[in-house]
Amino acid sequence: MKMRVKLYGTLSQQVVGYRHSQGIEVEIPDGARVKDLLARLEISESQGAVVIIEGQILKANDTMRGGVPVHILQSLSGG
Amino acid sequence: MKFINVNMSTKTIGVEDVPQEYRGLGGRGLTSVMINEEVLPNCDPLGPDNKLIFAPGLLSGTPLVNTSRISVGAKSPLTGGIKESNAGGTVAAALGRLGITAIVVEGQAPEGELSFLRIDTKGNASLIPAQEYKGMRTYKLVEKLLGIYGKKTSVLCIGPAGEYRLAAASIQSSDIDGRPCRAAGRGGLGAVMGAKGLKALIVDQGGKSADAIADPKAFNEAAKDVVKAIKADHMSGNVMAELGTAALVAPVNSMGAFPSYNATKGVLDGWENISGEAMAELIKKRGGNTTHMGCAQCIIHCSNEFVNKKGKYVTGSLEYETIWSMGGMTGIADLDTIAELDFLCDDIGVDTMSTGVAVAVAMDAGHKKFGDRKAAIQMVEEIGKGTAFGKILGNGPAAVGKHFKHDRVPVVKGQGVAAYDPRAMLGNGVTFATTPMGADHTAGNLVGLYLTQQLDPLKPEGQVEASRFMQIAMAAFDSTGLCFMASVALFTPEAGEAFLKVLNAKLGTELGPDDFPGAIGTRILKAEREFNKKAGFTNEDDRLPSFYYKEPLPPHNTVFVISDEQLDSVFDF
Repeated sequence: MKMRVKLYGTLSQQVVGYRHSQGIEVEIPDGARVKDLLARLEISESQGAVVIIEGQILKANDTMRGGVPVHILQSLSGG
Repeated sequence: MKFINVNMSTKTIGVEDVPQEYRGLGGRGLTSVMINEEVLPNCDPLGPDNKLIFAPGLLSGTPLVNTSRISVGAKSPLTGGIKESNAGGTVAAALGRLGITAIVVEGQAPEGELSFLRIDTKGNASLIPAQEYKGMRTYKLVEKLLGIYGKKTSVLCIGPAGEYRLAAASIQSSDIDGRPCRAAGRGGLGAVMGAKGLKALIVDQGGKSADAIADPKAFNEAAKDVVKAIKADHMSGNVMAELGTAALVAPVNSMGAFPSYNATKGVLDGWENISGEAMAELIKKRGGNTTHMGCAQCIIHCSNEFVNKKGKYVTGSLEYETIWSMGGMTGIADLDTIAELDFLCDDIGVDTMSTGVAVAVAMDAGHKKFGDRKAAIQMVEEIGKGTAFGKILGNGPAAVGKHFKHDRVPVVKGQGVAAYDPRAMLGNGVTFATTPMGADHTAGNLVGLYLTQQLDPLKPEGQVEASRFMQIAMAAFDSTGLCFMASVALFTPEAGEAFLKVLNAKLGTELGPDDFPGAIGTRILKAEREFNKKAGFTNEDDRLPSFYYKEPLPPHNTVFVISDEQLDSVFDF
């Protein structure tokens, strides 16, 4: 399963040549979960990654689906 | 540990030890408890009976990092209720190093008369005639003052908006580089300062008479653990230095909660053009600073210096809430325009948030079109010039709504909302509705709980409890002088314990986790609620505008579903 992923916060720094206007294409096995996608991109737990698809925040064990843009951000507080 | 009491009517200054009943209080805790005790709830906020209180936090002036937040308190001309607005910069640390717990300004100068209040390196205070600075904007004013008193001087000041006594006027605070780009923006406290006849508070940074730390050894040991926690946290230790608070543009738009086009949509068209990532890229390309030390003793460096195409300074620091109000609410997805608007607001001395929302209400009412960059700049310029329309705009969104007879006005208790739509982040709606401050992004913001999946932003369950917890915590932290960016790293048990040790070592107390933040935060909120009740507020004031309950917000197409009974249960303590 291929998907178009955009990385926010400081996450893009670990992908050489990342261009924000395009994001990156990532291929993961069908049925792969959120945590598999993060592992594939070598994003560690301490980076506070959050995966959002169509306005919904996904949990680590949620199954990924293709065909929609994926945003991977970092958890932040506001104030 | 002293108060400096200034009477602007008699031009007298008195110094006293902190009265027993106020000992152990600082920042918001001190301003709110004092106002509740000493200010007549029904007084004219712009009259002589109101008190304007400047209070550094309990830890300001100590060696602990990130403790230069100053609380400014008074009865608000915008909300009619109690107000605490806090700002970064250098002045809190400067006052703390002088052992000054608060400056209390009361009375009122004769109409049109302006003064500076200067505090020298020994802590001596004096009033200085400032008539020649009448109408001066803040950047020019601070440049002149630093020229007179030296670069190691901190300034809190007002611009023309404060002199006009506009209800959205700010008090601007100078940063490390002597730029008045920090603001106690909310609630119109600049108007209170203007009404007193006080143009600026000028404080020497060289004070060496800070209050003693009760247990210096324990303080230093625990302070190291606090520093470690701040550096280890991915937000305070990494993302803030790279992108600043603008890093929130992406997550909040991705969640569909970025109030856009006067809160008619939850995603701004073209938001990627004004994201933190886009801003950092643009600043780097132009040779500006994406990271910058704005406040005294800061190790986070969330600040930035936005520059134009020629690499010349435009404004600093361009923050999330301003990017939202001047970009999202107005439909202007252009950083150069937003930066210019931010500078104008700082220079005129008016709250960027209230002003952006006010511009958006005017656009929504048909005065101008959403996305009209020139119109937005012209409108804000009118505030500085003091035109009739400029004064309406500078009195905030509710005044603009009234002028245009337009009822889609996103305010609570008269204060414009912040950058999180209550329909897509229900708990933030609970906070906006119930905080004694009027809609406020610092009073109990739950976006962090949503992003860490501790709470579902769209389900009502748990929102009231989370808002209550966060409002109590923020009231307590606002009393310490610690900046929010540092406090987010202290919500682990270990880091929280280290911070408590620092506080106890400073004060010589034995506060436990139930005392801080719990009991202290609760005491502050009770005082604030009590003042508002005496000023005539009822449960009906703890409500959002009706459109939040009726108009679904795209893309989730949800409305605000927290009941009145649930809202009324927030302060069941």
